[in-house]
Amino acid sequence: MTADVQTLASESGCHLFSGCGFPSPGLNVFEFKPIFSIGAFDFTKPMLLALISMLLVIGFFWSAFAKPKMVPRGAQNVGELGYLFVRDNISRETIGKKGDPYVPFLFSIFFFVWVMNVMAIIPFAQFPATSRIAFPASIVGIVWVTYLVLGIKNQGFVGYFKNMMFPPGLPKAIYFLLAPIELLQGLITRPFTMAVRLFANMFAGHMLIVTFSVGAWYLLGFHIGALYSATSFIVVVVLTAFELMIQALQAYIITLLAASYISTSLEAEH
Amino acid sequence: MDGAAWSSVGYLLSGMLIYGGIGWLIDRWTGHSALFLPIGLVVGIALALVLVFVRHGRSS
Repeated sequence: MTADVQTLASESGCHLFSGCGFPSPGLNVFEFKPIFSIGAFDFTKPMLLALISMLLVIGFFWSAFAKPKMVPRGAQNVGELGYLFVRDNISRETIGKKGDPYVPFLFSIFFFVWVMNVMAIIPFAQFPATSRIAFPASIVGIVWVTYLVLGIKNQGFVGYFKNMMFPPGLPKAIYFLLAPIELLQGLITRPFTMAVRLFANMFAGHMLIVTFSVGAWYLLGFHIGALYSATSFIVVVVLTAFELMIQALQAYIITLLAASYISTSLEAEH
Repeated sequence: MDGAAWSSVGYLLSGMLIYGGIGWLIDRWTGHSALFLPIGLVVGIALALVLVFVRHGRSS
């Protein structure tokens, strides 16, 4: 049972046949009362979760790598496994050896996003901070600045935009039509789809779990509803397992996309 | 690869935005309600598909 459901249920005290309709969860599930406010600035639960995620990632890898040993044990073992995964399966796969300087960056994105995602199914947290668009958007903003700066640095301002807007191997006349699409794609649509993809997946996943949890609660009672309630609860369990997979996958994909954008900035696509 | 799939979606969106947008502006300018907008959308999708082919179709 998620915290959101408890709020919904205690506010409505609502079951089947008790004379109230299904309290369908909506956007209200994603809005939180501020924990505290400083002037016009409200500190809310997603921010708290993002901070906790950050501290968890820093804390874990600090303990893993603060005193490295030649023969890794415990946390260092797991940490190195994570590092090698990002380096070999994401960075070297998309950028190649030249990508090694950017592995720490990709590594941070991967684990920060992953821990934020996993918060969706941790008891009492039960909210993926990444389902508020601001979090994916700011991460993507950093990636955006990174690949633009790298591109301009490596290919020159004119060269970078020339490579972006004029893919080789086309008749000259058609560039006139295609260049605006490429420019929009490279500067706006690419980061936009990247942020929206993470946000939408986490949003939808959280919504599904909440809907079925509320359903299980609403249908509960000493009548036929109990059967449906049990079914709904099983769906929650299955969805939670499914979400666990999606959370890792989305963290992997946002890192992979970041790596592939950095790779197009390092050298022009052929 | 997944990157290719997502950049294809991005190209289609970009194409529709640019040429659909131009069509919409022409519509406003000439006073049509919806003539150049759909034409622009189709042109945009077609050009975007050319780009998807150029970027991702040839390498394999």
